[in-house]
Amino acid sequence: MKLTLADYLVILVYFAFVIGVGFIIKRKIRSSNDFLSSDRHIPLWITSLAFISANLGAQEVLGMVASGAKYGIMTVHFYWVGAIFAMVFCGLFMMPFYYGSRARSVPEYLKLRFDEKTRGLNAVSFAVMTVFSSGISLYALAKLLEIILKWDFDVSIWVAASVVMIYTFLGGLTSAVYNEVLQFFLIVLGLSPLVIVALHDAGGWANIKAQLQPQFTHAWKYMGHADSNPMGLHFMSLIFGLGFAMSFGYWCTDFLVVQRAMIAKNINAAQRTPIVAALPKMLMPLIVVLPGVIAIAMMTPALQSKGYSIPAAETGGIDYTMTLPSLIAHYYPSGLLGVGVTALIASFMSGMAGNVTAFNSVFTFDIYQSYFVRNRSDRHYLWVGKIITVAGILFSIATAYIARSFNNINDFLQLVFSFVNGPLFATFLLGMFWKRTTGHGAFCGLLAGTAAAAITHGLTIAEGKGGWIAPLYPIRSGMGQAFIVAGVSWTANFITTIVVSLVTKPKPEEELRGLVFSLTPKQPTKHEWYLNPVLLSILLLAATILLNIIFF
Amino acid sequence: MLKRLNELNFVIGLFFTIVSLVLIADDIFNKEKSGDLKLYTGLSFLIFGLLMIIIKTNRSSEK
Repeated sequence: MKLTLADYLVILVYFAFVIGVGFIIKRKIRSSNDFLSSDRHIPLWITSLAFISANLGAQEVLGMVASGAKYGIMTVHFYWVGAIFAMVFCGLFMMPFYYGSRARSVPEYLKLRFDEKTRGLNAVSFAVMTVFSSGISLYALAKLLEIILKWDFDVSIWVAASVVMIYTFLGGLTSAVYNEVLQFFLIVLGLSPLVIVALHDAGGWANIKAQLQPQFTHAWKYMGHADSNPMGLHFMSLIFGLGFAMSFGYWCTDFLVVQRAMIAKNINAAQRTPIVAALPKMLMPLIVVLPGVIAIAMMTPALQSKGYSIPAAETGGIDYTMTLPSLIAHYYPSGLLGVGVTALIASFMSGMAGNVTAFNSVFTFDIYQSYFVRNRSDRHYLWVGKIITVAGILFSIATAYIARSFNNINDFLQLVFSFVNGPLFATFLLGMFWKRTTGHGAFCGLLAGTAAAAITHGLTIAEGKGGWIAPLYPIRSGMGQAFIVAGVSWTANFITTIVVSLVTKPKPEEELRGLVFSLTPKQPTKHEWYLNPVLLSILLLAATILLNIIFF
Repeated sequence: MLKRLNELNFVIGLFFTIVSLVLIADDIFNKEKSGDLKLYTGLSFLIFGLLMIIIKTNRSSEK
């Protein structure tokens, strides 16, 4: 891939704009709340697009195109099973508690609902995870630019990190959120021409279906048995592991995305944020799954004459991660190549900035202010937030270099994150809907869920990974293993929390008003139909079910 | 004009308008293998950019 002046110009314009947004927002930052939680004044369309953009990082864009090539249309399950239902649930049932409790973060909600130790456990694990995730994102960006553009690894790391640092240091969360929306449009509009031209080149969807094996173009038809589909999954594992434990755990409890809804102007807008975001999320497979399916179809004998192929990995076989960059290199001319590369850079920077802003909020509010320095002026916490932003970026850079030296650390960290994240939804589900749940129960449940995840991984083996205790249970795909680990850890947390709660003393009911469903007065909805979260949710779910039927 | 830089839709519109001009100019001066893809993308970006600039958001809602 060789860039021309026009390509570099597009990249420079993008960098100038994201930094410019930081300078514009800087003038509005006067307090720690402005910097760390946007003081709850962001319009709905921005919070909604930021809600999905925070998830539209590199792993999403490159990873889903790669999965589209590897597993075919089944990858849409990450959207139509693993996202929409959880987003709707988050909006309808969880946002009223997050927003109504006036908590500034998800760990702070845990403090209000349970106790200090549960908040501390969640805050520390979340802070560590976000800063490492940010570093891995940075490493992946530099590595990709080194491979496809032959750019120097160190220069890429420092330039990308510096740009993110400038705009997050200047404008805090608002700046990150505004840039996420710009990045959303850039990714969607920058990759849309690629989908159109590649689909046309492949002879349309009908020809792709004719060339590929039917397992690659049906989402559900071959899921009755694990051996008959590319993911190696039974539909029950998919529904419980991905559709319930993993997706609800991520979309309903991960502060990185929930934070975007918590900065909405009012509770109705906060509720509608994940629901409105679910609409573009539902259509995202057109941009990030379809190109992968097209790419693998282009490698079939009938379409080989088009001259496209996914590059080979160093170890032999197909390097699926390179599917999107290779499509961009094949179809985009100069100028447009710059748009494609900028879209990739935007996805990495979006992921990194999202992690850094979530990290500085949780560190400042839930760790520094709670455990180290209380009752200082707001100006003090504003400056701590800014210093933590810089520290978070520097930690990310250090992580990126560690990841470069020890390549396996990426897999290891992702694994540890899944152990911590997997069981979390059980804690929130019980905490919000069962008033008897206690702080001791929640804390023990989280520990038990994480331990169960580690043990399950140690007893199962898939694609050479896991089985470090004893490889007793072989699973065909790593993805299937992840779903089973998530399901087991959720169940362990759920049962442990209930058992420990029943033998420990609950909080008095008056302390739980506004935090638990049964103790919170329901507000009658007096909105026009298009503002009604329930009606919007029903329409969305109907459309999602319809899509699943069409691509059955 | 400068005040409108506080509106995100204006900033996004400005960005896509500038990028579209780069693409259209590059298409005029550098035809090579691209066919019309670059021109059509540039024109689409221009329309989108101008629409975003024209849309007037409720200023009170931005504050």
